[in-house]
Amino acid sequence: MGVFHLKAPLKEEDVTRLNIGDTVFISGDAFTCRSMLHRWIFEENHKLPPDIANRNVLIHVGPIVLEEDKSWKLVSFMPTSSLRFEKWGAASVKTWGLRMIIGKTTMGKETMKAMMEHKCVHVSPQCVSPNLWIDSIKVTGVDLLKELGSIEAAWHMTLNELGPFIVDIDCRGNNLYKNHEHIVNTNKTMALEKIGIPNEFKYTKLYGE
Amino acid sequence: MIYRDVYEDVIFKAIHKGATVISEDIRISFERAIAEETYPAAKEGLERTYESMLLSEKKDNPACPDTGWPIFYFKVGNDCSLEGGLMGLEEATRRAVEKATRKGYLRSTMKHPLTGYDPGNNIGSNIPSFTYQFVPGDSIEVTYVAKGGGSECFGGTRHRVVAFADGVKGIEKFVIDSFVEATRSGGICPPNIIGIGIGGTANIAANLAKEAACLRTVGSKHPDSEFRKIEEDLFIALNNLDVGILGIGGNTSVLAVNVEYAYTHIAGICVDISCNCMVARRASYHINSDGTYVTMDSPNWFRGR
Repeated sequence: MGVFHLKAPLKEEDVTRLNIGDTVFISGDAFTCRSMLHRWIFEENHKLPPDIANRNVLIHVGPIVLEEDKSWKLVSFMPTSSLRFEKWGAASVKTWGLRMIIGKTTMGKETMKAMMEHKCVHVSPQCVSPNLWIDSIKVTGVDLLKELGSIEAAWHMTLNELGPFIVDIDCRGNNLYKNHEHIVNTNKTMALEKIGIPNEFKYTKLYGE
Repeated sequence: MIYRDVYEDVIFKAIHKGATVISEDIRISFERAIAEETYPAAKEGLERTYESMLLSEKKDNPACPDTGWPIFYFKVGNDCSLEGGLMGLEEATRRAVEKATRKGYLRSTMKHPLTGYDPGNNIGSNIPSFTYQFVPGDSIEVTYVAKGGGSECFGGTRHRVVAFADGVKGIEKFVIDSFVEATRSGGICPPNIIGIGIGGTANIAANLAKEAACLRTVGSKHPDSEFRKIEEDLFIALNNLDVGILGIGGNTSVLAVNVEYAYTHIAGICVDISCNCMVARRASYHINSDGTYVTMDSPNWFRGR
């Protein structure tokens, strides 16, 4: 498992060499996106604002940003769960030409398929450490603030060695968390037995299931 | 008489402190978890989280940007006199939430459930929420809870009616099944504080679970041995799953398991689970009838635990 320091915009070879479990730090330009921006683009047929259309690092995050002396002050930052954007994941990878998504948790099958086809990875944090990250991020602008609100707007961020994040989906269809599920499931059987609940235990049905 | 400007100021202080300062019991449980964690990556994750949490007090910013649902619990003395009454208290709370949002202590997180409209101040239908307990005396206690969305939305909140035929085994299996499903890829921000409500109607069980997760101090025990045993059994079982911080594997998966109960109907046992995230945020203040006030380490919601 390696440690990589990457610079956006990311090239195809920057991400194809990454494997699940690798640690990455990222520099360069990125933008933020949550449900409302996905919906704005993919369901209400708008285009990605031109300032961010050429950026290929996307962050699933709803930051706290305050306006101070006509510039933006990032107050807090923690990537949010990517799983909930699965409905739009594949389209975002394909249409926006993404090479990396930074988000908590992971993404589902359809996005993973698109990531294999279009060479994109998903990376996730292993801690909740906004204060160790905010100094590595400069907020340089924003799109759709009025239309979508501050948490859902498309913030322009310039990153300086932001990390560490772990690669949880690589370009070859591997998922770190999926692999870990097998370990937890095995442990669950043992944990249940330990407190006297047999493996064959079935709930008494109180209504149709 | 407790005047409006006094309680409004204290409520704002509770929001400010709750969002930015981690309470003593959570700090102790993090220090223990870091000392006992044997997986290097998980240990590093816990250390980095703890370092960031402590920095929030110095930097005067929220410990996590998801400041969640603003939830308030009031213990009101039966002889407590409030200027403007309880309606005045709720109005003042809404103003304090708005101010805390404007100052960046709370993120503008609350939105219309269908349109997604963001009023920008965390105020809307039934939000913030208020829960009251009435107690002897002439003072009032306020607890603010920042209930994060990760632990609430990604499987950390569940309900099931367990048959009497299944009893404690059914209850414990439901909790373990729910936790395993919810922690896949770390959606609910483990290590969690697990609240379990047993008995009552569905809403009573759900409220007890939420209060057990957010208001009990970490390390407190249920005084009744049969409920304490469920807490202890599940604490060991869940920490043996290897979920770890944010689901990456590790031997710290829960910081606490807290059970509260109500009497139930002979037909079945409502069981609810509510998870709080590792950055568990709350703050409590006690206001005396003369307007003086002190901060409290524990919300003291369940009489001493």
